[in-house]
Amino acid sequence: VADVMLSFTTFFFLHFRMQVGVAHSEVNPNTRVMNSRGIWLAYMILVGLLHVVLLSIPVLSVSVVWTLTNVIHNLVMYLFLHTVKGTPFETPDQGKARLLTHWEQMDYGVQFTSSRKFLTISPIVLYLLTSFYTKYDPVHFIINTASLLSVLIPKLPQFHGVRIFGINNFYPV
Amino acid sequence: LRTFSDLNTMLETQFLFLAPAYHLILEGILILWIVRLLFSKTYKLQERSDLTEKEKEELIEEWQPEPLVPPVSKEHPALNYNIVSGPPNHKIVVNGKECINFASFNFLGLLANERVKNAALTSLRKYGVGTCGPRGFYGTFDVHLELEDRLAKFMRTEEAIIYSYGFATIASAIPAYSKRGDLVFVDESACFAIQKGLQASRSNLKYFKHNDMADLERLLKEQEAEDQKNPRKARVTRRFIIVEGLYMNTGNICPLPELLKLKYKYKVRIFLEESLSFGVLGEHGQGVTEHFGINIDDIDLISANMENSLASVGGFCCGRSFVIDHQRLSGQGYCFSASLPPMLASAAIEALNIMEENPDIFSVLREKCQRIHNMLQGISGMKVVGESFSPAFHLQLEKSTGSRESDVKLLQAIIDYCTDRQIALTQARYLDKDEKFLPPPSIRVVVSVEQTEEELDKAAALIKEAAQHNLH
Repeated sequence: VADVMLSFTTFFFLHFRMQVGVAHSEVNPNTRVMNSRGIWLAYMILVGLLHVVLLSIPVLSVSVVWTLTNVIHNLVMYLFLHTVKGTPFETPDQGKARLLTHWEQMDYGVQFTSSRKFLTISPIVLYLLTSFYTKYDPVHFIINTASLLSVLIPKLPQFHGVRIFGINNFYPV
Repeated sequence: LRTFSDLNTMLETQFLFLAPAYHLILEGILILWIVRLLFSKTYKLQERSDLTEKEKEELIEEWQPEPLVPPVSKEHPALNYNIVSGPPNHKIVVNGKECINFASFNFLGLLANERVKNAALTSLRKYGVGTCGPRGFYGTFDVHLELEDRLAKFMRTEEAIIYSYGFATIASAIPAYSKRGDLVFVDESACFAIQKGLQASRSNLKYFKHNDMADLERLLKEQEAEDQKNPRKARVTRRFIIVEGLYMNTGNICPLPELLKLKYKYKVRIFLEESLSFGVLGEHGQGVTEHFGINIDDIDLISANMENSLASVGGFCCGRSFVIDHQRLSGQGYCFSASLPPMLASAAIEALNIMEENPDIFSVLREKCQRIHNMLQGISGMKVVGESFSPAFHLQLEKSTGSRESDVKLLQAIIDYCTDRQIALTQARYLDKDEKFLPPPSIRVVVSVEQTEEELDKAAALIKEAAQHNLH
C-alpha cells in the first residue's frame, strides 16, 4: 500500500506542479478547474484511496465498507459541488459567482460538457458497484439510493440555480 | 446442516439472480441514463428558447429599426455651443467676449495660480507628460506617493489613494466594496458619478428622499424587519449609505450628525462624496466632517474630486488603511487606468501647500458665497436652491412654464442676457435620459475667491435684471 501511495504522491506532484503559477485568463478559475489535466484521474485515485483506507479497518464487513465509500463520496461531492457557493478567488464579476454552487459555475453553466458527464456518471458507477458488493441488501439499497439521489438531482439542468424547499437558499460569506 | 450452508454460499456467489426486481429496474434505468448522457449534446442554458421558428419569424417581422441618428431640433444645446478661448480662469473669453467667470468650479482660484503653474512646469521638465502605465504596472512616481501622503495628512486619515480621473473616483470606489446582493441606501439627488458607480456595483439600491432622514430611517427599519425574516442572508449582506457632502445637483449639505446616528443604530457603512465640499467647508478646508466637527474616522470612506478646489485633474479617496488598501487591487479606475500625469500630481501638491499656508482662504470664500447668496434672494419668479455657504448653488424657476424645454429656453435667455453684459453663467447640464431622478432645470452659479465684491454685486444685480427682463 505504501508503494502505491508513494506513486500516487509522485503523480500528484508531477501533475499539479505544472498547474501552479501557470498564467490563465479565466475571470473565475472555478469554471475550468474540472477540466485541468489529470483531475479526473486524481479524483478516481482519491475515491480508490478512501476505499482502501476503509477496507483496512478490520471490524467493517465488505458491504459496510462499500456503502461507507459510496455515502462518504456522495456527501463530499454534495458539499463541494452543490452546497458551497462562490469562489476562493477574487473575481471581477461583482459577486455573480457568490450565488452559484461550484457545479453551476462549471464551464460557465454550459450543460452536458464532458466534465459534467464524468461527474454525473461517476457516482452512478460507484452506486452500481456498491449495489453489487452489498449483495442487493434492502437496507444498504435505501441508504445508497438516497445518497445517490442527493448528488444526482442537483445535477439536472432543470435544477440549475433552483433551490428546492429553500435548501441552501442563502448567500454564502 | 453443512449442505445447507454450502447451498447458501453457492447462492450467494450467484446473488445477482436473487437481486430484488426493484433494484434491477433502478439499475437498468441508471445504465440507460448513462447511455443517454453520453450522447447528450452540450448547450447553454440561456440559449434555449421556447419560441417556435414561426414565432421567431413573426418577432423579426414586427421589429422596427430606429434611425442611427435620431432627428434633432436645430435648437438642441449640443448644436448651439459657446466657444471659449483661453483658460477658464477668473476672466473667461466666451464667443470672443471677455466675461467674469461664474461657471467653473475653480473655487479657490488655483487654476491660474503662478506657483501651481511653476510646480507643474518643473515636474513636466523632470518627468515628461505621461506615465505610460497604471499605478501597479510601472506607473507609480514619487510624486504620486507624496501626493497620497499629503492628502492623507491634510484629511487626517491613515491613507489616501489617487485616481487619474475625478469622475471615476467614486464610480470605482463604490463597486470595489458593494457587490451583487449588497444593499445601498442612496440620496435621490446623488450626482451622476455616484449613479454610475452604483450601476457598476449591481447592488440592490434603495433611494431616500433628498436629505430626508425620516425617509432613510423608514427604509432602514423596513430592512431590519426583512433581515429578521432571513437572518442568514442578512449576515452576509453588506450595507452602505452613500451621500454627498455638498450636493452637486442641489447645493445642499448632508445632515452628517443624523446620518452617523443612523449608521451606528442600524450598522451601515457611510461613503461620503466630497467633490464640492473638499477645500471649501471647514476651518482648514477639510470638508463636511470638519464643518460639523465630526471625527473623520466615523466615516468609512471619503471620496473627492481634485478638479474643483485643487484645480488639478483626478480624484482621491481617503480613510483607514484597512479600507483604502482594498482599492489598490479592486478599484477598477485605479488598476486599469494609466496613472495621473506627474505634473498634475505636483500641481495638486502645490495647491495643497497653498491651502495649508492660507487657511483664511476658506473663510473668504464663505463670505463671498454668503454675499451673493443674500443678494440673490427675493427675485420674483426665481428661487435660490442651496446652502448660503455653498460655492456652487442653483437658481431655479419658482413656477415651471409648462415644459422642461421651455424652462430651459427661458433660463438660457437669462444666461445670454448676463453673458452679453460680461457675466459668464451656465445651466446645470444633465444627460436627461440617464439621470435616475432628473433635477429641474437651473442656472448654476459658481463663486470663486477671485471674484471681487464689486463683481459679485454686479453679477447679482445683473441676474436680477435679467430675470425681470425675461420673466415679466
